[in-house]
This record gives sequence, structure tokens and C-alpha cells, in this order.
Amino acid sequence: MNRAGSAWWRSLEQAADDPGFMADACAEFPGLARALAEPLDRRQALKLMAASLVLGGLSGCDEKFASALIPAVRMPPNIVPGMPNYYATAHVLDGYASGIVVKQAMGRPVKVEGNPQHPASLGATDVFAQATLLDFYDPDRAAEISEGGLPSERHLFSAALAAERAAAAGRHGAGLRILTGTVTSPTLTAQLQALLRQFPEARWIQWDPISRDAVRLGARLAYGQPVDVLWHVERADVVLAIDSDLLSTAPGRLRHAREFASRRNPSRTHAMSRVYALEPTPTLIGSVADHRFIAAPAELHRLVSIIAAGILQDQPPPPDAPRWMPALIADLKSARGRALIHVGADQPTELHTLTHAMNEALAGRGSTFDLIEPVAVPPIEHANAMVNLTSAMQAGQVRSLLIIDSNPVFTAPAAWRFGEALERVPFSVALAGSADETARATRWFVPLTHAWENWGDARAHEGSVTLMQPQALPLHGGLSAHEMLAEYAGEPQSAEQAVRAFWQERFGAGFAGAWHDSLAAGVVPDSASAPSSVRLRDEAARTALAAARPAEGLQILFRPDPCLWDGRYANNPWLQELPRPLTKVVWDNPLLIAPALAQRLNLKSGDRVSLTVEEKQLTAPVWVMPGQSPECITALLGSGRRAGGTIGTGQGVDFYPLTARAGPVSLRAEPGRVDLASTVHHTLLLETPPEEILRHGTLAQFAANPRFIDAGELPAQERDEPRLYDSAPAGPAAWAMSIDLNACIGCNACVIACQAENNIPVVGKAQVLREREMHWLRIDRYLSGSGDAPESFFQPVMCMHCEQAPCENVCPVGATVHDAEGLNVMVYNRCIGTRFCSNNCPYKVRRFNYFAYAREQHRAPASWNPDVTVRARGVMEKCTYCVQRIAAARIEADRGHGEVAEPVTACQAACPTQAITFGNRADPRSAVARRKQSPLDFAMLPTQATQPRTTYEALIRNPNPAIDGSST
Amino acid sequence: MAAIFSPDANLVAKVILLLAAGVCVVGAIFWWWWPNTDYARNLRAMVEQPVPFSHDHHVGGLGIDCRFCHTSVEVSASAGLPPTHTCMTCHSQIWTRAQLLAPVRQSLAGNTPIVWHQVTDLPDYVYFNHGIHLAKGVGCESCHGAVARMPLTYKAQPLTMEFCLDCHRNPGPRLRPRSALFDTEWRRTESTPTPDALLALYHVPDRNLTDCSLCHR
Amino acid sequence: MSSQPRFDDPVVQPQLTMAAMTDRVCAIALRERAYLWWWIAFVPSLALALLLAVSAAYLFYAGIGIWGVNWPVMWGFAILSYVWWIAIASGGTIISALFFLVHAEWRDSINRIAESMMLFGAAAAGVYPILHLGRPWHFYWLFFYPNNMTLWAQFRSPLLWDFWALFTYVGASVLFWYFGLLPDLASARDRAVSPRRARIYGVLACGFRGSSRQWRHLRATYAVMAAIMTPVVVSIHSIVGLDFAGAATPGWHSTEFPPFFVFGALLSGFAIVLLLIIPLRRLLELDDMMTGRHLEVLCRLLLTSSLCVAYAYLMDAFTTFYGGDRAERVMFLTRVFGDEAAVYWGALLLNCVLPQLLWMRRLRVHQPLIVVICLGVVVGMWLERYGIVVYSLNRTHLPSAWGTYHGTFWDWSTLFGTVGLFLSGILLSIRYVPVVSMHEMRTLIARRAVPAGTEAP
Repeated sequence: MNRAGSAWWRSLEQAADDPGFMADACAEFPGLARALAEPLDRRQALKLMAASLVLGGLSGCDEKFASALIPAVRMPPNIVPGMPNYYATAHVLDGYASGIVVKQAMGRPVKVEGNPQHPASLGATDVFAQATLLDFYDPDRAAEISEGGLPSERHLFSAALAAERAAAAGRHGAGLRILTGTVTSPTLTAQLQALLRQFPEARWIQWDPISRDAVRLGARLAYGQPVDVLWHVERADVVLAIDSDLLSTAPGRLRHAREFASRRNPSRTHAMSRVYALEPTPTLIGSVADHRFIAAPAELHRLVSIIAAGILQDQPPPPDAPRWMPALIADLKSARGRALIHVGADQPTELHTLTHAMNEALAGRGSTFDLIEPVAVPPIEHANAMVNLTSAMQAGQVRSLLIIDSNPVFTAPAAWRFGEALERVPFSVALAGSADETARATRWFVPLTHAWENWGDARAHEGSVTLMQPQALPLHGGLSAHEMLAEYAGEPQSAEQAVRAFWQERFGAGFAGAWHDSLAAGVVPDSASAPSSVRLRDEAARTALAAARPAEGLQILFRPDPCLWDGRYANNPWLQELPRPLTKVVWDNPLLIAPALAQRLNLKSGDRVSLTVEEKQLTAPVWVMPGQSPECITALLGSGRRAGGTIGTGQGVDFYPLTARAGPVSLRAEPGRVDLASTVHHTLLLETPPEEILRHGTLAQFAANPRFIDAGELPAQERDEPRLYDSAPAGPAAWAMSIDLNACIGCNACVIACQAENNIPVVGKAQVLREREMHWLRIDRYLSGSGDAPESFFQPVMCMHCEQAPCENVCPVGATVHDAEGLNVMVYNRCIGTRFCSNNCPYKVRRFNYFAYAREQHRAPASWNPDVTVRARGVMEKCTYCVQRIAAARIEADRGHGEVAEPVTACQAACPTQAITFGNRADPRSAVARRKQSPLDFAMLPTQATQPRTTYEALIRNPNPAIDGSST
Repeated sequence: MAAIFSPDANLVAKVILLLAAGVCVVGAIFWWWWPNTDYARNLRAMVEQPVPFSHDHHVGGLGIDCRFCHTSVEVSASAGLPPTHTCMTCHSQIWTRAQLLAPVRQSLAGNTPIVWHQVTDLPDYVYFNHGIHLAKGVGCESCHGAVARMPLTYKAQPLTMEFCLDCHRNPGPRLRPRSALFDTEWRRTESTPTPDALLALYHVPDRNLTDCSLCHR
Repeated sequence: MSSQPRFDDPVVQPQLTMAAMTDRVCAIALRERAYLWWWIAFVPSLALALLLAVSAAYLFYAGIGIWGVNWPVMWGFAILSYVWWIAIASGGTIISALFFLVHAEWRDSINRIAESMMLFGAAAAGVYPILHLGRPWHFYWLFFYPNNMTLWAQFRSPLLWDFWALFTYVGASVLFWYFGLLPDLASARDRAVSPRRARIYGVLACGFRGSSRQWRHLRATYAVMAAIMTPVVVSIHSIVGLDFAGAATPGWHSTEFPPFFVFGALLSGFAIVLLLIIPLRRLLELDDMMTGRHLEVLCRLLLTSSLCVAYAYLMDAFTTFYGGDRAERVMFLTRVFGDEAAVYWGALLLNCVLPQLLWMRRLRVHQPLIVVICLGVVVGMWLERYGIVVYSLNRTHLPSAWGTYHGTFWDWSTLFGTVGLFLSGILLSIRYVPVVSMHEMRTLIARRAVPAGTEAP
């Protein structure tokens, strides 16, 4: 993909000036909307698109147009048939933005890339941003306004709203409540505050089920006022991650991951960092840490207090403290100014406060972290605000409730009975993308336009603002949050007007230029939050944790599902079938329990248990999770949607009914099993990963001999011995890949990016149970040592593009062959499906279309990548090194347009840690050539003498010599 | 005992055997020959169009350049089809009453695209790129034939894999000077640079042009 | 007139005359109405054959996905049953062709049955390579033919040789079977009472009138065919072995496979022949041509090939540990001690241990016991292939790619369908084709009779 010089902004206004264009667009939409519903031959649709109007044409997908070419009536601006366009915007999750660039084919979004110029993306994306593509084309998105479940009209709603506004105005807004998720959008904030000025008695509540209250309150308790913390992981020599979400769910996680990885490969970094993880349940950072200490929630607090005492009051650890404790404290203190302690959002406020005190004491301020003015606007206490709102609703004090893009009926703890309370609100409106649980419970339901369909703005974790430009006109109509608020305020205006109006006064005179540049770059220049110079309150250091201790006994922890978040992505098949990073389970959210606990209750993965918290009881399957503390169990939120669309509804178990309950937790084995689909069909708990598969060692070994991984008697991978068959003559380039195992955090971004780029179908739970998943790129996870405290290894595996490829020799029709540039090419249209190639592949990276998977899924034809063949039934497929991107780069180069931008594979582009490097090995200046020179470079299964073009860099860990390995 | 077969049964038997052999041979020949017929390949068959657009008149007669309508042919994979707007740039001035052009006027007026019928089509798994072929000196005519002489457009070349490979194996002789790229009448003359000269002129890369990955993805 | 077979029986009972033999054998083929037992056997066989048709039809409609194959076990029932059938067919060929070349007298009365077994075994095997393809309608891409893609098949792939070997084998088998049949068809023609039958057999006999010239040509051709068939049968099964040996997969990557598979072919071949002649000699009252001598000889051969197979198993284990490849070792240990170790031990027991009973001379003519052993071998050989095909793919180099495998209903229906196809074919041939090679029997009887001097040849 060539980003050079392409301006990522679209001038919709030009198009909008053209009445014919708009008319066409609108005329075409029913067609598109209809086409979205039925699966359709991609290339058929493509042929039409290739010559059709930017936003229309799909209405022509009927049989009678089988061989039709439909040109536009007027060609829209900036469209060259067959050439992609790239437009910058942002992906917003719980308010926080990370920059993305949307690739469009003939005006239709087909792929998401990260925005290198955005501070929270740095060019990478997370799984959610990638999957937004399917959300945008989701057939279940609502199209029409409804009242009391019956179809209604826009003007009727406007009338009702007007009446309500009048009534509210009489009461100065008393009884008016507005419920949103976390808001960082400057425009929306301004609109809301204006509305609150207009209705002084009205209240605005923010609610996100994946709560960050503890983080915000912790900071406020520590510093006396709301501040946000900006972590600089790359500056930390020693990191202590306490139940940390630094790499998994915290805002800015992509940046954290990049910085984290920059200190993990001893062959590149000046000084490798050392990471301790202290956690009750496995996290991403825990599984890549050098030391991982498992502590039950109760124990964890005790240990942290000991560490705090050690750091703040120089108290030596008590005798009953673990053996590793003194070494840990010493390590942190010796790294004064280069140490960093991070606490996850699920830990109580006091723990956060105390940690701030420790970080200050370790002189991390200005080095490993900075304080900035808060990015999210107040009110910041979600839980309390929500409780108050619910009780007010119960008490009948709430006359009208406006719910904007939030799903409290599903996500609010059942204990609060939000659903019942909602029935007592006379005038309730839900502005939501689809008819979710809340939309079905409110009186009015207004479809919300997708983030790609309207204007908006949002701030990154460090405050930088992105102006979000539409990628398409609304597919189904609907309103944006801006439009809804404007309408409520009584002066209706479009989202574009609202956003422009706000930034008009921000930018002032130089508006036009600033607006253009901000859209082009995807970031508003110098809009980051101002640093805060507030001092730490002395009380912070004296914070006591004991108070926050919940009851003893079995604890239950609630975490967002790594793929479904709080449940909003439950209708996204890519995410449902994305193997969860640590369990590799798909389409389900089993309860995670420790091996010891499983043994005590005699449970196996998949067995059903009845789980009781307070009086609330439900049954769920369990998954035995190595590395989980036996005194707690982990429930993943977001599954079990009641109105989650055709894909999400009823998939998995809904644990929200158990949240916000302090009572005792009890677990009882139930008869019966649930078939849990996992893409790992066999336990990967090994003595140690076999050397020929995954090589690893310690920093000490590396320091002693940088090439120690070659010390084994395994043959070097590049052996020059006589071959039965000559490899193909070398072409101008030699494509190759290097994967740095030190950087891989198993986050799955590459897997889903590959799926999006290469039109990889979703096969469904039943087929995964039959071991027929289709992902070209999988992340193997090996566990070594004991199941109670295993050491974890991630290893991304895709086609190795062997120079001596075993698959090529055995194909009877030559459907898989070598090309001159070293690609192991899979020619789908030549394949007859003998499947011998897969049998002969030592890496087992080939996937077979046992059924017509691509045809069977309900997916908009426009959403497929037009540059990649959609594979038919009975055909083998596998990673191609993104040959379509190589071809594009090659053509670009051959057309003599100067120096060609090296092709970037989809997985490489998405990877937040830059673990994957791809390029031309024949060019010594290329990044990949340099990485292959790394002393850590090794090939998988060298004894097979396949000479893979993809090699790995061995995993080096940096354990503290003062701590014996057993505690890892 | 009585004879079961009359004496000429032998002859019958032999004839039958011969016929059987004959059928096999003929069948094999037909199997090979049929796909190579113009009929099976749909060659030189005029295709009905909503508007009987004549390249003969517009290109051959009026001398309009290919790129006037097929705007993206030099830069993109797809050559692009002219929007109605393009037709009307002229036909809003001339032939404004012509019955033949009614569909075009209606298209513009009613904002309904004209639905043309496809003439040249490649299989879905073939990724052909117009831009690079022109950049490397392959003229329109090499694949589309003498379009400038087509009253109604038809498919002029088989466009089989064999057809593509013939050129990809030895591109030189098919290349033409830049001036002649869009000239479907052009023929090689003594003054024409040699194939090798053209290969050099266009920097046709020394990569293997018959790699599967070049066209199939 | 049936009597207990004894190991010292002559290869043909002396009191049997040529005429009597010919009459009896022709009578079987020329019966107006079939035996009751024939119908009892034929109807269910045909039903099974229809089940095959249904399974194939649904397979083409729905796709390979209806089978149990998955990732990583991409070969399953189709391939292993194919190997199984090819082995059975090959066994028939060896008896008929190889022992013809070495002038083994005992083969004359059973070679017809052996050849039918070869023919329909090959037919049953032949359906699999096509069914097994992901896109079967493109199977002809395995041939070399002028095409406008300028593409050829890929020489290096064992599958390609396999495909051709199979085609050669099936074609050759049909000819071999038919040539040997000509004189007997002629005899049937001459003995037929109904003109309709006479005409049919007449046409099939291609005007064979028994002139010395025709006899000369026939014998020469038959001898040549036999000389060709013998290497062909070895090649087909070696190549099937190479499908596996040619791959780098643990458990397959072994040079012993070609001979290993040929041993298997012998074993299953002798077993099936025994299973066929033991009932037939009684039901068709042929026990004076298929005597205890035949059972005795076949049992010895069965025992021998069983020992060969046992040797192959031993080598399999030996090379695994001698080679010292971790993956090989893991795979082998799972096969032998894993969850489904029963498959391995079952094969070992049925193919190698049980046949050892035949060391005892008495038992070599004990028909019920022989039947049990042979059935055991037939099942055992299938289990052996299951172990080879499935477990090697279950346990490849990367633990992350280990999987499980289970046959689905359609796997089984296809398997039993082919069994139905085989049995229906055999039964039809018994019903309408002289079940014993009469012309060879006549020479045998003649040769035997001369010393007795009771009757001129």
C-alpha cells in the first residue's frame, strides 16, 4: 500500500454541491441496503462497481445485469476506477480515539489501516478497529425510527421531541437526563454543556460498563484534582504491572505496546527492560513478563502494601512475604527514575492512589510518566452517577431520558434494575446503531449513524483531537449524536455544521487551512492535553488498602471480552471467531478457573458449573486456565446478548447479572457439558517448547554468547547441500519475513488484519469444532512448566514460503508453485483439492474450503477486498505474503514512478509492536535483511531443510538473577 | 447344432469395432478443437447495446482519442467507462434530436445510468492491469483489435491464457512506439525500432513474466 | 457329495472328468433361475451399492465437508479405503497372474474367482480418487492433453503416478480377465439352450470356435498379459505406498512403504480369496475342484504374507527410534499408546498374531476357523491403513497443529457402499460367468489323468 503523498481527506462538500450526485446516492441506497442483506458473488458486484457510481450501483446486481457494465451518470470527484482512496478518521472505543486510515475501493470502505501520524496509533490498529469494517456493513443495523416498537416517521419524532422540549423548558429541564458513554469529543461536550446551560436542572450521566472510575478517582485522590497519567513505557528499565491492562485494554494500549516492545529485543535495544507482573488472572503483559507472580485478589493487596511500605517507608518485607519480594523492591529502587508501576483499571481506587505515591517516590514523574489535564470531560464517576440515575428513575423523578450510543439495559448491573426503572420514564429515547436491548426498552428508538457515516471528533488518550470525516453517506439514514443534541436544543443542524461551527472558533482566522490539514493528517496539530504540574498530596502515601478488602472466599473477577469488549461487538463474526489471545476459544466466553480449582471440583474445560453470587445464580461452562489464581475465577463480559443481532444474540453467557454484587461467590459442578470451540485442539502445556520449533533463553545467556541459540546441534537453516530439485531462478526481489518473538504480545491484530485483507471467510462455531477454521495467520501459544504457574510463549505462524517447499512437489496439477521472487504461490483456479500439499506441510499453514464458506456468509459484496480472489469450495488456500500488495508495489515501480515503497503486509501494518518485518531480503538496506542478521534469527523446523523465507528472532527473557526461576 | 450367427456376423463385428475406434478418435479431436473455435470463444460476434455506439465513427471517423472516454486506462487497472456526462459534452450540442441518442438523454435527465453489455471479459481470478501494459508499450489493438474499424464493438482476440502467455514469454515483437499505443491501425515498418530497442526503451523488467503470481492472486 | 477337506487332498479329485466338469460349471452360469441363496446375498449387496450412489451424489452436491476430514487431518476414509481396496484387488491379480507364470496347478480352479475379485476390487478402489477431490469435475487436469492454458500436470507428485497407475491397472485387469474368459464363454454359448442366451454368450465370445490357431493366439496373449500384470500389480501398490513415502509427514516418510504395502496386498488378497471359495465350493458343489489342497496352500501363503507384514511393523517401529526424529517418535508413541491405541494393537493382533494359528496343519483345512482368521485380516488391514493415514496427520511436527479425527455417517456409507459394489459385482459374475476357468481345468485334469491312464486327453 502506497501512502506516500496521498492526502487522506475527502471533500464531501464538493460532492454535496452536486445535486445530481446526492440524488443518485440517495436513489442508490435502498439498493445497497438491500444488497447488504443477501450474499453475492464479490466479483460480480465488483464488475458493477468497477464502472459504477461511487455510492450506488448495487441495485443493479440482479440476474438480468449478469454481464452489464454500468457507468456513472456523472463521475464523482477524486474517484479513479480501479484505484483505491485513503481517508483518515479515528476509531473510538469508550470515548478514546485511535487514528485509522480507511481504504476505499470505488468509494466503498474495504480495509482499515492505522494512522502513523496519530499518537495513539503510530500506524497500528487493534482488533476492534479492523473489525469496524464488518460493523459498518452489518445487515442488522437499524434503518427506521420506531415508537413503542412500531415503525414511525422522522417528523413524528421531531414533533414529539419539540413537545418534550417545551415541557422541559417549563421545568428548567428538571427531570431531563442525558446518558452517554465516556465523552472526549470537544464538539459533543460543547453541545452538551450548552444544553445543560439551556436546561439548568437537567443532568448528564456518563456510563461505560468497562469502568475506569478507579483510575480517575485514584488519580484525583492522589493529586487532589482530576488528572490523567501518560505512561512512557519505553523509558522504564523496570516495570511492575499489577493486574495491568497496559497492553490490553487501557487507552493508548497500542502506543504502550510499541514502547514496551522497543525495549525487549536485546539485539536492538541498548538495555533490555525487566517486567514483573503481579496478577490474579493472566493478562497480555503478564504472559510476556520476565517474572509473573500469581496472587489472589486478597493476597495481591497485602503484597502491594508490603511493596509500598518498602518503597515509601524503606520497611523491609515481613518474614511471611514471598521470597522474591526483597529482590523486587530492591530492583525497583535501584532503577530510581527509570521504574514504572502500573495498576489495572479493575483494582480499587486506593491501590491506584498508593501506586501514584510509589511512582512519585521512585521519581518516575517526567521520565516514565507525565501528568496531563484529563482528556475525558466530567462527570467522571460512572458507577455512582448511574446508581443515582436509576434511583431517580425508580422514584419517578426522571421525565425524559435521552440515551446516546449506550446500552445500559444490557450492561448495567442487574442488581440496579435499570430495566424496570426505565419503564417508569414517560419519555425515553435511545439513539443506537441497532435495535439492541436498550433500544427495545425505550419508547423511542432512533437509528444512530455509523462513525464512518457522519462528522465528529474525538480525543486520544493523550488528548490529541482527530476530526472524524465520513467515509460514506449513511446507508440507512439515521441521526448522529450531534444532530440529536442539536435537535433537542431546538436549533437543528447537521453533524458537519456542528463540528465545523465548533472548530471555526477554535481555528479562528486560519480555519480553512487548519481544517484541511487536520483532516489530511488525521490529527489536529498541538491539540494534546496540557501537562499538569500538580503536586502529589502527602496523604496519598498513607493510603490504606485494608479498607477496600472484600469478603474472603472465592472471588469473581469481571473483565471485558478481549474480542467483544462490553458486548457491542457481539454481532461481528470476525471478532466472534477470533481466538481469544490466552485461551484460543472462539464463539464463547467460558468461566476461567485455575487448574487447582478444577481439580478440586473435578472439572474439565467445557464442563458446566452453576455459579452463585449473592442470591443470583446462573450456569456457565468453565475453561481451565493455567496461571489463574485458584482463589478467584474470571468472567468475561459481553457475550450472551439478548438482542445482539443475528450473530450475537444468545451466543455465550451473559455475566452482567452478577456484576456489582459484593456477596459470597459459590461454584458447583453441574451435569452436562458445553462444546467449546477452540482453535487449539490439544493441550499445549509442554515441558518446554521443542527447540526446533521455538528457541528462547535468558539475557544472561545472550550476554555470554549472543549466538547461543545456535549452540544446539540443530543444523543451521541456510545449508548449501545438493538438492533433488533446483529452486526457482532468483528474480529482482527476494521477499522474506522476520518475526520478533520478543515483541509479540499475542494481541491478534495481525490475525484479523489478515482476515480483512485477504477475504478470509468466517466458518462458524460448528465448523471450528470440526477443526476447520480458516485463519491464514494463527498465533500459537505454548505453555511450559507447571499448569499452576506456566511460562508463556507466543509464536505467530503463517506460510513460511519455503525455498524448498514440500507442498509444491506433491501437487499433481501444479497449483502451488514457486515464483521468481521466492513466493510460494497458491493458484486457486488451478487447485483441484487433493489436499496433499497440506499433508506435506510441516508447519500446517494451509486451509481448505471444505464448504463454500465465502459464499455462505451474509456479507455485503462491497465489503470484500476487490484485489483478492474469493475462494471457491474445494480449494486450498494459505498466506500469500499479501501478493496483491506486492503486485501493486511492483506495478508502481515498473511504471517508473521513482523509488517504490516496499510493500507492507496486512499483518505487518497492523502489528502494534512491529514484531513483523517484511521486505526484500536481496536488498541489504532493507529492514528485513538487517533483521535476518540478528544473532537471534532462527528458522522453524530446520531439520526439515525447507529453507523458510519467514524466520523468527528467539525469545529472550530478562529474569532477575536474585530470584530463582521457579517463581516465574 | 444350429449356427447362432449368420456368416456375415464377422463383418458386422469388425465394422462395429472400427466404428467404436472411430468415435473415440473423432471425439478426442472434437474435444480439443471445439474450445478453439471462434464460436466457442465468442469471437467477432457483434454485441447488441442500448445505444449502437460506433467506435468506427467516433475513433476512426472523428479521430477521438481512446483516453477521452476511457480516462483511467493509463493509470489504473480498469480502463473505465465514460459517464453519461462525457457523451453529453458533445451531444448536448450536436445530434440533440437523434432518436438513436434518446437513451443517453434520458439517462442524464432521469439520472439513470446506461447499462452497457460487456464485450471483453476475463475470468474472475485473472487480475489484468491496463495501466502497466500501456506503460510498457503494449497498444490497445494487441488485445482489442482494430476497434477504430468496429461499427459495433466485438471481441477481437481469444484472450485465453495461451494468448496472454504468448506475449508474456516474448513481449518484444508486440511492443510499439509510444506514438502508436492508441493507434489501432498501426503496423510495423522498417523505421520501427527493433523489439530489443523497444524492450530497452520501456525498461521491461528482466523478471520472469510468466510467474503465476503476476496475474493470479 | 461334499466331504470334509483334507490337507492331503489332490488338487483335483481324480473321479472328476472333463465333460462332467464342463457341464457342471456351465450349468451354473446357464441356470434359468438363480439359487435362493444368491438372491439372499445379492439384494442387500445391491442396496449397499445404491447407498454408494446416494452418498456420491450428495457428496458432489454438498462438498467434501460432509466427511470427517478437517485441518490438519486432510486425508481420511477416502484414501485409506482406496488403499484397502487396491490391496484386495492386487491380491487377486497376484494369485491369477504370478502363479500362472510359475505353473501352480492349484490356481487353475480359483483364478477366475481371483480375477473377478481383482476386477471389482479395482472398481471399488477406482471410485475413491475422484470422490476424494475437492473439485472432482476437474479430475482430467491430471492427464496430459493440449489445452489453451498451456499447462501440464506436475510430474513430481506421487499422486499423479498413482492416478495413472490406477488407470493402467484397471484397464489391464479388465483385459486380463476377459481374455481368460473367452473360451469359457464359447463353451457356455455352445451349451446354452435358449437362443437368447446363446446369442449373448456368442457375442461376448467374439467368435471363439476353439480352432488350434485361436487357441495358440489365446494362450500366447494370456501368457503375455500375465507377464505384464505381475509387474503392474507390484507397481500400482508400490506407488500407492509412495503416496505416503513421498511425503515428509512423520509416520509416512519411510522407504519401507512400497514393499510394506505389497505385503499388505498379498495378505488381504489371500484372505478374500479364501473367504470367497470356502462358501462357493459348498454352495456350488465345487469341492472336488477346490479341494483341501487349495485351502492348505492358500493358508500357507496367508501365513507367509502375515509374517512379512509383521516384519514391516517391526521395521516401522525400529526406523522410528533409529531415525531419532522427535516428531516421528511422538507420533509413533501416540499411535501405540495414545487414546486410540486399540487401532494399532487391533491391526497387530488381526494381521500378525491371529494368522499364526495356521502353523498347525490341522487348522489349515478347518474352514470355520479360516473364515474367522480371514475376516480378521480384512478388518485388520483396514485398521492398519487407518492408523497410517489418520495418526500421522494427527501428530505432525507442531503440537499446535495436533488434532482429532472421526468418520461421519457419509464416510461410513461410502465405505459400505463400495463393499456393496464389490459384492454385487462378484455375485453377478458368479451368476452369469463360468465361475471356474474351464479350459485351464481341462488341461489340468488331462495332465492329472494321463498317469492313471483311464481316459485319453
